[in-house]
Amino acid sequence: MTVAETAGAQDRTGAGNGSTLRSMRVFRFKRGDASAHYDSFDVPAGRPTTVFDALRWIQLHRDPSLALRHSCLHASCGTCGLRVNGREALACVTRLGDLAGTVTVEPLANLPVLNDLVVDMEPFVERFASPHPILRASESLPQATSPEGVDAYERFEDCIECGLCLSACPVAATDDTYVGPAALAYAQRLLEESRGADRESILAWADADNAAWRCHAAFECTEACPSNVRPAERIMALRRELRGRQGSPT
Amino acid sequence: MVATPRATGRDEAPTGSRSRTWRWTAVSGVALLALVTVHMVANHFVVEQVGGLRTYRQVLEYIGNPVIFPIESVFLIVVTVHSMLGLRSVLLDFGLSATTKRLLDRGLVGLGVITVAYGFVLIGVLASRA
Amino acid sequence: MSDPADGRRGSVEPGPDRELEAIRAARRAPGPVQRKGFGPVAWFDVRRRGAGHLAFSLNRITGLGLVFYLYLHLAVLSMLLGGESAWSSFLRVATLPAFLGLDVLLILGLLVHGLNGLRLALVGSGYAPDRQKALYWSLMVFGAILLLGAAIHIVGSE
Repeated sequence: MTVAETAGAQDRTGAGNGSTLRSMRVFRFKRGDASAHYDSFDVPAGRPTTVFDALRWIQLHRDPSLALRHSCLHASCGTCGLRVNGREALACVTRLGDLAGTVTVEPLANLPVLNDLVVDMEPFVERFASPHPILRASESLPQATSPEGVDAYERFEDCIECGLCLSACPVAATDDTYVGPAALAYAQRLLEESRGADRESILAWADADNAAWRCHAAFECTEACPSNVRPAERIMALRRELRGRQGSPT
Repeated sequence: MVATPRATGRDEAPTGSRSRTWRWTAVSGVALLALVTVHMVANHFVVEQVGGLRTYRQVLEYIGNPVIFPIESVFLIVVTVHSMLGLRSVLLDFGLSATTKRLLDRGLVGLGVITVAYGFVLIGVLASRA
Repeated sequence: MSDPADGRRGSVEPGPDRELEAIRAARRAPGPVQRKGFGPVAWFDVRRRGAGHLAFSLNRITGLGLVFYLYLHLAVLSMLLGGESAWSSFLRVATLPAFLGLDVLLILGLLVHGLNGLRLALVGSGYAPDRQKALYWSLMVFGAILLLGAAIHIVGSE
């Protein structure tokens, strides 16, 4: 697709085709810069225009150096996570029409910024218990079992590893060693459906001052999660498991 | 599958001690709901004075009471334990190194011991004057 | 057969370019981590945040306030060691309306911290975490009623 074709496709989505001009304030930082700053743009917006559409319009029509991540455009990959007006959100499904006034767009908090709205996700991934299975056996395998009570069943695969929970967490704001909601929710999910993972090592990993016991039940991770993982509830469930665990000298 | 989360230093408390720390915070907190209620009611809502505040004689009478003295003693210990654990929890949120955590733990134990000791001296002297 | 790249490398490779290296090094360095505020400000910035964050912030503020009060209280009680006249002098100040107001503030702090602490003990143990918001607001309403009663009694005792 040429730039012109892309711009045309952009306009058909709603960006550039709207009756209103929306004011946007976008965080800018290139590595090597002394400090970050914000650039302001007026973006034509229609009813269906999302934050991602607006940012893409800015890239195509105003500033091609604006860096942002995206992939699926329908909230299933988690790549476009950022902060909109101070709240964590996926850009692809956040409509400008649902936001009032000037829309401020910033990268996720608590992770190093690589470029404008793009953060380094490596510190997020590193927090997960290591090693952990990246590829999991298919749920259609006959030996796979579901937890008791179908209503209680939630697939860990709901987690799209977007990082919104880590950005929203007030503990992660001051403690980079805190493993964070996603990793803890993952650990609890492994306990629920271990598929060969060693329960005791999961519990040992979770039973640390910078793991399950660092959470202060602010529940911001659950508020931010776009994928119904409910990490805070899972951390509390993980704690319930830990409380029942007998301590033994290491 | 031994896991190693990112950490500035893995502290070496025995397995299960972190859950015990949290449990002590929760248990002391729940106990304080009752103890603080007794203390506040007794010192603000019983005596027929402005603000319910006791005069000197009334304080001595109160602390010299053989039922009240042990309750207030337990209250002193529990509130100090809860305070030190709470302070520890807040300070740990700054992502301290293992060495700093150990120093913090020792410091808070010391502060707690001094606090309880001084409190006992105080109520002991007052009870003796009753 | 010579590698064409050798010729290209030979013709374009300059000597060390410190300025270019400095730029490259700066671009390789980890970028800034965006925080919601300097240091612990993020703990207390509840704008656009949920009830859980408000509960966490208030719990922290009241907790630290109560720790401060613990030592203030021990210091004040030390005046009792000075005998009846020392304590009476203190009472003359402590019964002023402004100080009675501080007593009400103390009770507010105790109620907020204590009742939210009850929520934390329950939810943190894994009981009803999906009802934590309702639990929080119910306990705060209950606390507000208790506070009103306490305030009327304390202020009305003047």
